Amino acid sequence: MQLHGAGGPRLSGSRRHELAGLLFLSPAIIYILFAFLLPIVYNVMLSFEQTSPATISSLTAPFAGLANYRFILNDPTSRTAIVHTFEFTAGSLVGQFIIGFALALLFTLRFPGRTLGRSLIIVPWLLPLIVTGVIFKFLFQLEGGAVNQLLMDVGLVHQPIDWLDDPHLALLTVLIANIWLGVPFFTLLLYSALQDVPMEVKEAALMDGAGPWQRLRLVIVPIILPVIEVTFLLGFVFTVKVFDLVIALTGGGPANATQLITTWSYNLSFEQFTFGEGAALNNVLLVLAMICSPLYLFLSRGSLRRSSEGGR
Amino acid sequence: MTRLQRSRALRWLCTLATLAALVVVMFPVYAVVVGSFESTETLFSGTYYWLPHAATLDNFRTVIQAQSGNVLTSLVVGLGTAALALIVAVPAAYALSKYRLRVTVVIVSSLLICQIVPSIVLATSLFIIFHWVHLVNTYPGLIIADGTYAIPFAILVLRAFLFSLPNEVLQASRVDGASEWQTFHRIVVPLARSAVITVAVFAFLNGWGDFIFALTVLNGTTIVPITLGIYTYLGNYSTQWGAVMAAAAFAMVPAAVMLVVAQRYIATGLTAGSVVG
Repeated sequence: MQLHGAGGPRLSGSRRHELAGLLFLSPAIIYILFAFLLPIVYNVMLSFEQTSPATISSLTAPFAGLANYRFILNDPTSRTAIVHTFEFTAGSLVGQFIIGFALALLFTLRFPGRTLGRSLIIVPWLLPLIVTGVIFKFLFQLEGGAVNQLLMDVGLVHQPIDWLDDPHLALLTVLIANIWLGVPFFTLLLYSALQDVPMEVKEAALMDGAGPWQRLRLVIVPIILPVIEVTFLLGFVFTVKVFDLVIALTGGGPANATQLITTWSYNLSFEQFTFGEGAALNNVLLVLAMICSPLYLFLSRGSLRRSSEGGR
Repeated sequence: MTRLQRSRALRWLCTLATLAALVVVMFPVYAVVVGSFESTETLFSGTYYWLPHAATLDNFRTVIQAQSGNVLTSLVVGLGTAALALIVAVPAAYALSKYRLRVTVVIVSSLLICQIVPSIVLATSLFIIFHWVHLVNTYPGLIIADGTYAIPFAILVLRAFLFSLPNEVLQASRVDGASEWQTFHRIVVPLARSAVITVAVFAFLNGWGDFIFALTVLNGTTIVPITLGIYTYLGNYSTQWGAVMAAAAFAMVPAAVMLVVAQRYIATGLTAGSVVG
């Protein structure tokens, strides 16, 4: 890089300063254009094309108008997948928040074992998702699965439950696995927010004679509300994307009972080779995921506006 | 009960609750480790054994024979993803935190939005685009795709860290006659070491654990990461549980190593991942 010279950028003008900055930024700009913008734009194009296995190698296919979107609207499996995605996301967020917040509150107290608890709670977050999927498939087996074994050993049920192959239960099983997976994220974020609540605030509430529940609801929750919002937002974004877990656990079955937008889109594109239909469904997912983006940008406004003068 | 007794009882209750949570968190990991040493007869006996039962190394023999190459593949993909993430993210984060650029707001907003884009959307398009540019079934192709998890996160985390670096240090370096590039790689990178390690660890885990891109941009014959290897053991009607458990145990090793070696980087990374100012 031929940017050095006596005096440094301050003296030689803001032009050079800006050029150096743009050069540092250029790999990222190229990457964003190639790996994000191009695929998103191409996905929109694909969704208006009449694709077939033969058109894959030619990059473009005949224009199809709204045919792919019409297919998605009328296809019962696509509609089921959209409904499942909403149910799955809502269930996951509620479960993850309740358990995650309870654990975060627990870890703010002083007792033997809290450090160990806090460091091991992140284990689910670190495992490859496909591994989590196969483990839960193993644990929730009809015969010889640990969950059924436990339920029968303690006498809660007499017959093993068909967690994965009963169409009424399969989505619940996938949901349980996903809650297990997502709790650490909620716990960690909410815990670090709780750490930031000033001691005086908690003490003042105590002096006023507030009980633990009142203190939580009226003092602590309002203070950490921004973090709760962001956590929900990111949790939503993570959950609508879930794919690996479902593919490993149920593959979308039985009888599409656990088919989500992601898994059905994969099926349309990579198993039936109807990429146009898959792309149309992808766009439904993209719009769904993007609903949150204005709110996300708004909540991140501090980070966006921060300039180099900032410092901490 | 006196107040002291009550607080002591409360403390034990908290410990008990934490233990219960840890059992739920760790049991699946325990089950994989134990399961990987169980014989096929035990795994298919229809009874779950809570403790190791008739241990054998057969599963590991099978998996080492069939999957050693795949473990190596995953290692290459993980390291490649980490390298790509660092090459792209470290300079970018520096530019976005220490330079006054007109594009900063646009780029940072785009990165926040990139984190939202579901992988299946990218995978569908990338598969066809990669066909066109001959990246299907290649390491670079898979690594570029896996970078989509790691890179926006890496830039945002590094940027947040670099804000805390005093501007005076950079100015001093420039006054000493260092070029922009020298200032970057002799001053900024060493000072940002802990954040750089954090994002490298996460990028490695992303590349190592990726499944969706391995499933779509590879054709499943020549380049097979361990995640795809595990998936092929899951049959429609019968699963080879012994092999699955042993392969899953292998796939968990990096996470275990990171948890022991890089615990503090992981905790920082997880919270910093949602930088909100």
